[in-house]
Amino acid sequence: MPKIVVDPVTRIEGHLRIEAMVEGGKIVDAWSSGTMWRGIETIVKGRDPREVWLFVSRICGV
Amino acid sequence: MHSTSSVRAVENALGIVIPDNARIIRNLINAIQYIQDHVIHFYHLHALDWVDVMSALKADPVKTASLAQSISNWYNSSPTHFRAVQNKLKAFVESGQLGLFASGYWGHPAYKLPPEANLMAVAHYLEALDWQKDVIRMQALLGAKNPHPQTYLVGGMSIPVDPNSQNAINAGSLAFMKDIARKSLDFVSQVYIPDLLAVASFYKEWASIGGGVRNYISVGEFQNDNISNTTNCWLPGGFIRNRDLTKLEPVDHMKITEDVARAWYKYGDGDDKAKHPWDGETTPNYTGPKPPYKSLRTDQKYSWVKAIRYDGLPTEVGPLSRMLVAYVAGHTRVREVVDMVLKKLGVGLNALFSTLGRTAARGIETLLIAEMMPNWIDELAGKMKAGDLKIHADDKWDPSKWPKLARGYGFHEAPRGFLGHWVVIMDGVVQNYQCVVPGGWNSSPRDAAGQRGPYEEALIGTPIAYPDKPVEILRTIHSFDPCMACAIHLVDSGHNPIINVKVR
Repeated sequence: MPKIVVDPVTRIEGHLRIEAMVEGGKIVDAWSSGTMWRGIETIVKGRDPREVWLFVSRICGV
Repeated sequence: MHSTSSVRAVENALGIVIPDNARIIRNLINAIQYIQDHVIHFYHLHALDWVDVMSALKADPVKTASLAQSISNWYNSSPTHFRAVQNKLKAFVESGQLGLFASGYWGHPAYKLPPEANLMAVAHYLEALDWQKDVIRMQALLGAKNPHPQTYLVGGMSIPVDPNSQNAINAGSLAFMKDIARKSLDFVSQVYIPDLLAVASFYKEWASIGGGVRNYISVGEFQNDNISNTTNCWLPGGFIRNRDLTKLEPVDHMKITEDVARAWYKYGDGDDKAKHPWDGETTPNYTGPKPPYKSLRTDQKYSWVKAIRYDGLPTEVGPLSRMLVAYVAGHTRVREVVDMVLKKLGVGLNALFSTLGRTAARGIETLLIAEMMPNWIDELAGKMKAGDLKIHADDKWDPSKWPKLARGYGFHEAPRGFLGHWVVIMDGVVQNYQCVVPGGWNSSPRDAAGQRGPYEEALIGTPIAYPDKPVEILRTIHSFDPCMACAIHLVDSGHNPIINVKVR
C-alpha cells in the first residue's frame, strides 16, 4: 500500500505535512501534521491586556 | 485578524461596549480583508489545482475571448488581450524559468479544462494580482497599514473620524472607499464568480469528493450591535451537527476543548483530558522521529496542532460553515446566491459537503460581502453627517476600574474561519491567553477518541491517479485555505523543543 507524503504543502500560509495511504487508486487513511510552532501566547503573559492585540496580530497577516 | 479577536476578548472580560463608528470601521476592515483574501486564494493559491497553465499555450485567443464574453461583461475580454497574455506566458516558458508557475503537475489527466478556459484563467490570475494590491488600500486607509492594521484599541479604534479634518476619516476618505467598493464588486461579480462557475462546471465529480467531517460551526460576523460576541450579526452564528440542515444549535464557548493525545504536548493531568481554553496548558513534548525522516509515527503523536473539538466533535470552520449556517438560519441573500450557484451547476444542496462546495462557498461569501460593503460605508457617512464622531469608549480604560480577576473571550469569523481568543486577567495583567484558530480546527490531528480531524477525514476516498503527482490531495487541502502559522500552539520559552522539524 503506497504512502504519499506531501511536505511541505505549498501555496498555503505556514508549514503543513500530509501523509496518506492509497489503496486501489483511492486514499484510505490520512494524517495532517503541523510541522512548526509559535510562541506568541507566552509572550503576552504578564502584559497589559490593552496591548495584547498588537502582539497576537503578528501570528498571521490575515 | 487576531487583533479583532483580541480586543473583543478583553472588551468581553471588562464589559466594554464600543461606539457605533468603531464597530462599522472594524466591519469595513474585515470586509475588505475577506474580499482580497478570498480572491487571492482562488486565483493564486487554489486555481492551479484546476487550471493547467501549460495548456493555455495551445488556446485560440479568439475563441478564448468568445468564451470570456459569453460568461461575463468584464471589459478586458478581447482577443488582443488574451493573445498578449498568451505571448507573455510563451516568453516565460521559452526562457526556461517558470517562476511562479514552476513545479506544477502540468499535463496531469486530472486537469479537465479546455485550453481556452485555461488561458482565460491564467489571464485573470495575472489581473487579480494587480487588482488585489489596489483594493487592500482601503484597509491601509482605515488601519494605517496592511497587513497588521495599527488602529485597533481596546474599547474601539484609534483612527479619528471628522469631516472637518484632513487627518481623519473625512468625506474624501468615504469617496475613496466607495471607489474601492465598486472595484471590488466589479471584479468579484464579473470575474471571480463567472470563473468559479465556469471552472466548477468541468469538475462536478468534485461535488462528491472531499466532504470530511459532518459538523460545522460559525460564530457570526459583521456585528449589527456593539457588544463583544453578540449574536446580532449580519452573517449569523450557529453549530450544525451531523449535517442536519433543519436545525441550528446556538454556540456555547464552554463546549470548545483541546486535547493533546496525538499532538506533541503534555498535559499535567493526562494528554487525553480535553481542556477548555481558559484552562489551556501548552508544554511541548516532541516524541516524533529524528529528521530527516521518511514517515511520522502516525500511530502515536504526530503534529504540533492540538485536537480542537466542539462538544467532543471534530468540526469544520470557514466559508462553507458560514454559508451553511446562514443558509439554515434563513439568511435571504445567502439562500438566493447559494441556490443560484447550485442551479447553474445542476447539483443539489448535498453537493456543498465537498471540495467543490467549499471552494464555491468562498466565492459566494465574497460576492455577498462585496455587495454589502457600500452599506457599511453609508452607515459611517450617516454617523458623520449626524455629528457622531465617537470612536472610542474610554470609561474602563483605567485599570483601577477593573475587577481583580476577569475572564473573557473574543469571537470572530476571520476569512478562514472561527477565530477565538480566551483571556484571563489578574491584577491588571494577562495571566493566561489562548488562541483557538481556524487552521487549528481544520488541520487538527486525531483526538483521544481516535476521531480524525477535518483535513484527514476529507481526504478519505479521494482518487489518486499518480501517487507521485498527488494533485488531488492539493485540491481538497487547498479548498480549506490552510493557515498553518495560526494553527500551531505556543511553546513555552523555558522549554526548548528537542528537535526543530526540517521542512524539505
